[in-house]
Amino acid sequence: MSGKRHEAMSCEAARGQFAMLLYGELSFDEEERVESHLDGCAECRAALDRERTIQAAFDSVEIDPAPSLLRECREDLRARLMEQETRPRRARTGWWAQFTDALMLRPAAGWLRPAGALTLLAVGFISARFVPVLSSTGARGGYQSMGFAEPAASRVRYVEPASNGRIQIVLDETRQRVFSGPLDDPQIRALLLAAAKDPSDPGLRVETLDILNTRAQSADVRDALVFALRHDQNAGVRLKAIEGLKPFAREPQVRSALAQVLLSDSNPGLRTQAIDLLTQGANENVDRQIIGTLQELMQRGEQQGYVRERCRRVLESLNASAETY
Amino acid sequence: MALKSGVLIDETALIRAAQNGDDAAFEQLVRVYDQSVLRLAMNLLRSPEDAHDVYQEAFLRVFRNLHTFRFDCSFHTWLYRIVTNLCLDHMRKRKVRKEEPTVLATADGPLDRMDAVQEGRVDGDPQRHLFSGQVRKRIKEVLGELTPRERMVFELRHYQGLRLRRIGEILGTTEEAAKNCLFRATQKMRIALGDFI
Repeated sequence: MSGKRHEAMSCEAARGQFAMLLYGELSFDEEERVESHLDGCAECRAALDRERTIQAAFDSVEIDPAPSLLRECREDLRARLMEQETRPRRARTGWWAQFTDALMLRPAAGWLRPAGALTLLAVGFISARFVPVLSSTGARGGYQSMGFAEPAASRVRYVEPASNGRIQIVLDETRQRVFSGPLDDPQIRALLLAAAKDPSDPGLRVETLDILNTRAQSADVRDALVFALRHDQNAGVRLKAIEGLKPFAREPQVRSALAQVLLSDSNPGLRTQAIDLLTQGANENVDRQIIGTLQELMQRGEQQGYVRERCRRVLESLNASAETY
Repeated sequence: MALKSGVLIDETALIRAAQNGDDAAFEQLVRVYDQSVLRLAMNLLRSPEDAHDVYQEAFLRVFRNLHTFRFDCSFHTWLYRIVTNLCLDHMRKRKVRKEEPTVLATADGPLDRMDAVQEGRVDGDPQRHLFSGQVRKRIKEVLGELTPRERMVFELRHYQGLRLRRIGEILGTTEEAAKNCLFRATQKMRIALGDFI
């Protein structure tokens, strides 16, 4: 029957559409015409079966990357991103760039930052005053049509097909609760200490440490600050932690963390602060243990000019060599 | 909303956080898509080294340019534009310089480097065992003979399961042009496999 014309489509034309038919890429009308042809053409039905076999054969050469390759890719990417972050970013120039920076509250914004903050305030006020409130039962479907607000994060606990063709999904949702109380309230303090280690949000950790810094005289708070200084991935959080620890720079636990920063932190600002804190009052009664750290830095060929010079001066003032023996 | 290992993630919030310098959000965003990016690169380039390079370059470009992402299209489309451009560059360079073949001549006879790579969707996949090594070898050869664009459209439609409209958006062309490309690719494959299936 090959080549014979059916009412609306030849065998050749029908077969030309088979691949698209199997991929579901034909329009309703095109699909109807092919199906109608197939109804009356056994040869084309056989040809369609062969096309299915060919498509199935394609699947046999699909590659799933090895888990070790994915792991390697992720590790290398993380390392390269860290390299990028330690490089100085090019300053954005021009008034518009500075203004948008100001709106984003980026550090480079300089004198325009107050203007940016005022603009955001004005936009917020005007939006709240004049934009109509959106209905939470709008026609967006999804979560809202089910009568609850879109959660920030949910976990699907169960997925179960029901008999009527619907799907039943059970979600574990994150719900917000508001706590309020003085900083010395044990519950508030415990929540703040937990938030200081929340891995998902560096902004939250910075805000939390900013509050906790006022209570750095408490051992539990100081432990949290030292932990952040030693382990937090975000330089902004570590800077906030070092700020709170400044008055306690003489304590062994803090000095040990500062020495670690000085020897291994990737952020130049943190290392500068660490050496200042470790060597303050160096001429009087600096503890001799710091000398070993400074000598190690000099031996490594310290690259950061300020840190190197400060090391050299302190070692000189202590009559210590720049080398170890 | 993106679905990742049973966890619904608010992608817009993640992107905005990453745009504001949140490293953890950026990492989470990478993890939503990186497996499919690596699979795409691996299947197109059939070389772990090249797939690794594409992965690195793609996500570094995302990192550097995320601040320019304005939600004019989905993040998936934006990311795949980057990845497909990188893969097309690799494939075009390979066509020009007839890069190192995957099959090497050894003292023990020809050795396909890709034989060491996990193939098929899962171990014990009956689909994989249904077809002889000869058929699979021929399919690999034909895939290598397609033009880079045909190969790309075929990959995105057949293996990644994307609709032609989305493929057109990713490749900066029309749905119709993507359809023509897929049509040519499947026709070539059908002809080349004529004696095998």
